[in-house]
Amino acid sequence: MPMDAVEPDTPPPAATDDAPRVINTDDGAKDGLAKCARCGATEISLNVATGNLRCGFCRFEWSTDNAIEAFNLNGDISALAGLLVGSGSSDIVPSTEEILTFKCSACGAEVVIDTNTSTQARCHWCRNTLSMNQQVPNGAVPDMILPFKVEKSTAVEKIAHFVGKRKFFAHPTFRAEFNAENVMGVYLPYMVVDINAHAKLSGQGEHQTRSYTVKVGDSTQQRYDADLYNVAREFDIHVNDLTVESSSDRLDQNTAVNSNNIINTIMPFDVENSVRYDSNYLAGFTSERRDSNLDQLAPLAHTQAEDITRHRVNDTLKFYDRGVRWAAEEVDVRGQRWVSAYLPVWLYSYQQRKSNGKTFLHYVAVNARTGETMGSIPLHQSKLLLVSGIVQLVGTVIGLVLVAVGI
Amino acid sequence: MLNLTLLAVESGQILAAGSSDDDSGGLGLVFLLSGFVFYSAIYFRYRNTDKRHGHESETEATMVNMQEHDEFVKARKGLSNRRMSGANNTAVRGASNKFSAGIMSKFKL
Ligand SMILES: [Zn+2]
Ligand SMILES: [Zn+2]
Repeated sequence: MPMDAVEPDTPPPAATDDAPRVINTDDGAKDGLAKCARCGATEISLNVATGNLRCGFCRFEWSTDNAIEAFNLNGDISALAGLLVGSGSSDIVPSTEEILTFKCSACGAEVVIDTNTSTQARCHWCRNTLSMNQQVPNGAVPDMILPFKVEKSTAVEKIAHFVGKRKFFAHPTFRAEFNAENVMGVYLPYMVVDINAHAKLSGQGEHQTRSYTVKVGDSTQQRYDADLYNVAREFDIHVNDLTVESSSDRLDQNTAVNSNNIINTIMPFDVENSVRYDSNYLAGFTSERRDSNLDQLAPLAHTQAEDITRHRVNDTLKFYDRGVRWAAEEVDVRGQRWVSAYLPVWLYSYQQRKSNGKTFLHYVAVNARTGETMGSIPLHQSKLLLVSGIVQLVGTVIGLVLVAVGI
Repeated sequence: MLNLTLLAVESGQILAAGSSDDDSGGLGLVFLLSGFVFYSAIYFRYRNTDKRHGHESETEATMVNMQEHDEFVKARKGLSNRRMSGANNTAVRGASNKFSAGIMSKFKL
């Protein structure tokens, strides 16, 4: 078990508060056989209906601690200073193995866990389940996990409904191959960020005082009078549970080449109900490993925090009904807390093979907490172009008549 | 294909701009572009390339210790736009789906 290089080799900290303080989130976590406290079986999985873990043999159920309470992540954001990081959010050490080998303590065999898709594996010899719960710096074990709450049957229904309303122009191959039962439950990696910032915005705003029409040649045109003001706002802002993807694949949301924006759209999650990490929540599901570090994600999170600030301060700008033009925006992050999480998604994926030989992966995704559903359906281009052409023809005739009549 | 969509979106904006400022001829124009408008409406309904998480409004945030400063500068007359020129108080810069952010900001104009 490579459990050495957890602490990065940093020089002794200088006398600044730049050095992140670490919240230890895997105290008492154990790797290996996780046994039912009542009967000793290792056949443990999430009971989606109750949110508890359940033993597959004796049906004993138990709950795990809420992560937010266990790690005091709900602490007053106004008191946040410097950088606070969950131990499961530490930087990935590139040399750390992604495929880890554990010794089965029931039979002595070696069991391999591929952390790219799970933190659990079954021993081929004695059929016991081995779990990995201790954090190694490869991004596989997060600080917390939000268990599935939406049942598979519900997700299947939602996906079938979403696709059912988009059948007419769907690609015929997709229509023939679509089967909502192929949905997969997957825990995707995210970072959840709390930010304490001081904001200072200044610029000008306009308030409309009159709206009227004037004659210009033959036509009438709308005109407006407005009062111009210098506007400034200075305040503290506390951003709670800002959530960003922490897999470089998922962060790439170029809609010309992928449909990751679909998975992005089903946010937000009720991350406040996350629990302490336990690999048993992964039984029957898969997971994707985090591969991005805080340094790579901080610029995005901070830009989003600025967006949130800009939109929230509009509450105080209702008087400026014509808008405000900020000339200077300063959002000074004074404290931030980062924790990594696995969040649950029901994912239907469809690989479209295009005529040019390229492939495109379409998703229909269901937020497995809120049920929010979004998707991308492959189009039957020739059919859509044909119908658009007909619409255009008819429209052109009507349009020409209307223009001629002068409406 | 994406270019075609963009073209349709652009034309949609021209329409929106044309019809809001000046009513004459707007309806006729809508029909002259009906093929593009239809194509893009179906495209977005099926592919949802314009969708993203609205982090700017869907994230919980509280403001405290607010200090406000508002100072009258001057009255302006006879402006032809309904929105202040250069207004940026609803801008979104941190969207991972740049395409959607682009469209949304243009439509809000
Ligand atoms: Zn048991
Ligand atoms: Zn074994």
